[in-house]
Amino acid sequence: MTHLISLQEQYFEMHFSGALFWKEQSMLLISDVHLGKVSHFRKYGAAVPQLAVQQNFDSLTLVVEHFKPKTVLFLGDLFHSALNIEWTLFEDWVQSTNAEIVLVSGNHDIISPLKYETIHIKVISELVLDSFLLTHHPEERDGFFNFSGHIHPAIRLSGLGRQSVRLPCFYKTESQMILPAFGEFTGNYTLEPCDGCEVFALLGDAVLPVPIKEVKKKRSFRKKPI
Amino acid sequence: MNREELYDIAKNWFQEQNWKPFKFQKDTWKAFLQGKNGLLNAPTGSGKTYALWFPIVLNYIKNNPDYKTKHKKGLKAIWITPLRALSQEIKQSAERITLDLSTQMTVGIRSGDTSTKERAQQKKQMPDLLITTPESLQLLLATTGYDKIFKDCTAIVVDEWHEILGTKRGVQMELALSRLKNVSPHLRIWGISATIGNLEQARDVLLGIESHALDNSVLIKANLNKKITVKSIIPKKMETFPWRGHLGLHLLEDVIPIINSSKTTLLFTNTRSQCEIWFQKILEKHPEYAGEIAMHHGSINKETRVWVENAIRNESLKAVVCTSSLDLGVDFAPVETVIQIGGPKGVARFLQRAGRSGHSPGKESVIYFLPTHAIELIEASALQKAVKQNTVEDRMPYLNSYDVLLQYLTTLAISDGFYPKELYNEVKQTFCYQTLTEEKWQWLLNFLVMGSQSLQSYDEYKKVDIEEDGKFKVNNRGVAMRHRFQIGTIVGDVNLAVKYQKGGYIGSIEEFFISKLNKGDVFTFAGRNLEFIRIKEMTVQVRNSNKKTNKISSWMGSRLTLSAQMSELLRNELYSSSEPLKNQSIEIRALAPLFKRQRRDSIVPKPSEFLIETFKTRDGYHHLFYPFEGRFVHEAMGSLLGYRISLLSPITFSLAFNDYGFELLSDQQIDIQQVLDNDLFTVDFMLDDLQKSLNATEMARRRFRDVAIISGMVFTGYPKKGIKMKHLQSSSQLLFDVFRDYEPDNLLFQQAFTETFEHQLEEGRLRLSLERIASQDIVWKECAKPTPFSFPLITDRMSREKLSSEKLADRIKKMAALLMKK
Repeated sequence: MTHLISLQEQYFEMHFSGALFWKEQSMLLISDVHLGKVSHFRKYGAAVPQLAVQQNFDSLTLVVEHFKPKTVLFLGDLFHSALNIEWTLFEDWVQSTNAEIVLVSGNHDIISPLKYETIHIKVISELVLDSFLLTHHPEERDGFFNFSGHIHPAIRLSGLGRQSVRLPCFYKTESQMILPAFGEFTGNYTLEPCDGCEVFALLGDAVLPVPIKEVKKKRSFRKKPI
Repeated sequence: MNREELYDIAKNWFQEQNWKPFKFQKDTWKAFLQGKNGLLNAPTGSGKTYALWFPIVLNYIKNNPDYKTKHKKGLKAIWITPLRALSQEIKQSAERITLDLSTQMTVGIRSGDTSTKERAQQKKQMPDLLITTPESLQLLLATTGYDKIFKDCTAIVVDEWHEILGTKRGVQMELALSRLKNVSPHLRIWGISATIGNLEQARDVLLGIESHALDNSVLIKANLNKKITVKSIIPKKMETFPWRGHLGLHLLEDVIPIINSSKTTLLFTNTRSQCEIWFQKILEKHPEYAGEIAMHHGSINKETRVWVENAIRNESLKAVVCTSSLDLGVDFAPVETVIQIGGPKGVARFLQRAGRSGHSPGKESVIYFLPTHAIELIEASALQKAVKQNTVEDRMPYLNSYDVLLQYLTTLAISDGFYPKELYNEVKQTFCYQTLTEEKWQWLLNFLVMGSQSLQSYDEYKKVDIEEDGKFKVNNRGVAMRHRFQIGTIVGDVNLAVKYQKGGYIGSIEEFFISKLNKGDVFTFAGRNLEFIRIKEMTVQVRNSNKKTNKISSWMGSRLTLSAQMSELLRNELYSSSEPLKNQSIEIRALAPLFKRQRRDSIVPKPSEFLIETFKTRDGYHHLFYPFEGRFVHEAMGSLLGYRISLLSPITFSLAFNDYGFELLSDQQIDIQQVLDNDLFTVDFMLDDLQKSLNATEMARRRFRDVAIISGMVFTGYPKKGIKMKHLQSSSQLLFDVFRDYEPDNLLFQQAFTETFEHQLEEGRLRLSLERIASQDIVWKECAKPTPFSFPLITDRMSREKLSSEKLADRIKKMAALLMKK
């Protein structure tokens, strides 16, 4: 269900929902939930199934109950757009949650921080904890390991018989880890693996370290003369 | 003025031009003036525009005897053309009549290319004769008070109806016509169609089944026998001619003498990227043609296209490399020769292209067929037969397209609103919605108003409101604006405008191609090498580059398939390879080395045989089946068989299809004996299994894309306008998943499956093929290596389908992410 790794002598547990739990800090990192997206579309005349709204809140509840963190840190793009009806649902969810909630603001977060303050959520632009840097956009800063979101990373796996599968993933390089998008109806972006990176794919009910195979370059068929 | 006097006006005009009206022209004049509707079956370049413009003008003269001195303003007739590139040409022929007959009638064009200013003027005062596209007509229905515009309209002519018929634009037309019938009491409806298999049905669709309009209608056939000569370009050295490929560049040098020996040659390619490549390569190998050859395809800007069209007329070009953009309309007398590069996938299309040459009545049309790979020569040979026998395919109209109906209902709700009860009866009279039940109708209305079937709490869904008197109306300006943008985008990917950084529009390109480029990459587009700078508000900014590149802009385009008749001809040609030489066409004879190799490694099937080949390469285990039934039947049969095999044990397939056969590729070996023992080709439970296989593959998912766009659930924005709707953009893929998980009974979601079924899988033909296979001997060849027949299939990387009965976790255990080493 989860997968544990250690970074600079700290322990991090990846959850199949896309959340990441920092054990020593008892902090749950969640990125790109895009709450309100379904309602936003509906408000503008695109009839996305309304039942999909509830799923995000169910997943949030599930993951918070699983880890029981002291802090929930959203790594940006918590809300997709301007205020809509889902804010009320979010308020209800916040009420029912014991953890302290902090939002690292992302490019989609256009709702006023004052609004968040009224429900006791702190909005910040980034967070530095020891040698860890937590941001929305991936960032390289000397001496820091960066956790971020924004990209909605996915990875393509290939196998014999021209098989391939695309899965959302945690994407880790030497100094960065990009979290997958937590939200329903958010989409993702396929990243190529790079030298020295590690990839952990979300399998629906498990997190799986992805084997990375080096290949020369794409093979192509050459016709043999008759 | 009586009818005879009116005819005299027309006949005199013809005499002045030194022409004589054809019988079909006179017949059409008569029927029109009698107040009849109809379908005119006439090919391009036959004078069909005069068959209909004349009676329209004569009818005006009849009703306005003072026509030379007094001008009665207002819209009299609408001419619908599927390609806006054709509108100039149609306008010129109309103006010739209105001017020569000294009427004061005005002619105007309204399409995506029309300026806002002109549009506003038209809104104040419509021209007498309006030339427009199906989409622009819908936009007129989205204007307040549209009924006044059409009040005195006496005719609507749908040109190239055969092109529109089998598409959703056809459905759009059906709906618009159903409305116009009621707002224009004096309307005659006419269609013009090239020859297709189902002409009678084409008339039913145009006029509406069991309608008054249909009762009062005629079908007029031009019956102009045109001599068409088809010549195949046969590779001089068959031994080195490739077994696969789709470009055909190997035969480039064989094209040069043909170009040199005729005044103007059109080279038809099947895709826009192929068009770009051929243009580039001819110039590279023969720089002496610079300035004498040009390129024409739908994504090049309008000015360039018009320039090329005029240059063809002035005889200032030796050759033009083009796509279907030059299939229709436009009369080019100087074109002497046409070359078709690669299989045209349709006899009607091939004939139409052939007709582009020797355009004057009575002249012979010459078309060369250039094969892009060896097996295509079989197709060339079959095409020759098809042309001789005049075997043309049907164009299948759509049924119950809920997406188009939702779009149409929103359109009407934007302008004057509608009352569902009245409108239901109107819609039900169209061919497309003849079986629409009141329940489904109610479902659609609910969807428009609530975005679901019952009122939800916590919902802000907003689109159409119901007013107090029961009228359905859009009152939100944003909804109306977005919908207007959406009407034009009935098909196609998201298009981005390509512009120089300093300005200057070059053309438009599909987003999927641009998304693969990085800043600084150089690509070829519209014959130029361009460096990609950035995407800004739906515009691709570029600058000229001198760098060489092999990135050629590409477009997805639609896939066509062989018709049943054409497939049969194809099989017969193949079988003829086992017959004595004298029974073989030159194409089949030229293929002797390939057949020899095929026989060495496997067999060439006889009429009584069905061939299955299996072999292993480093890609996995290949299983090939050759029904020779055309791509769509193979897609259906491949999915069906793949699905049935996957029930025997967990397995994953990658499927490839072409017009000759299909491949099931897997990381495991299939036991073919087991397939045969279990009778997996049976027609029993075929429908049920096929339906289940659809869920296992992704065909419906791709179909859903159009459905989502047309019904207004996905916003595509608008090229050139660059309206920012970023927060409203989502992919139809995401939407498909959400519907699958939360609303699988949604009619629009279901429609994607029904359409795949009816328009892609050709269930009826599948059944016949399976019955044919049941009567054949199955020959299973375990080959040591790929055979010539298998080659085009196993090397197809682009358009593969997936099917799996394995658990995801089990599948990915055998997989890895690939890291490309530079």
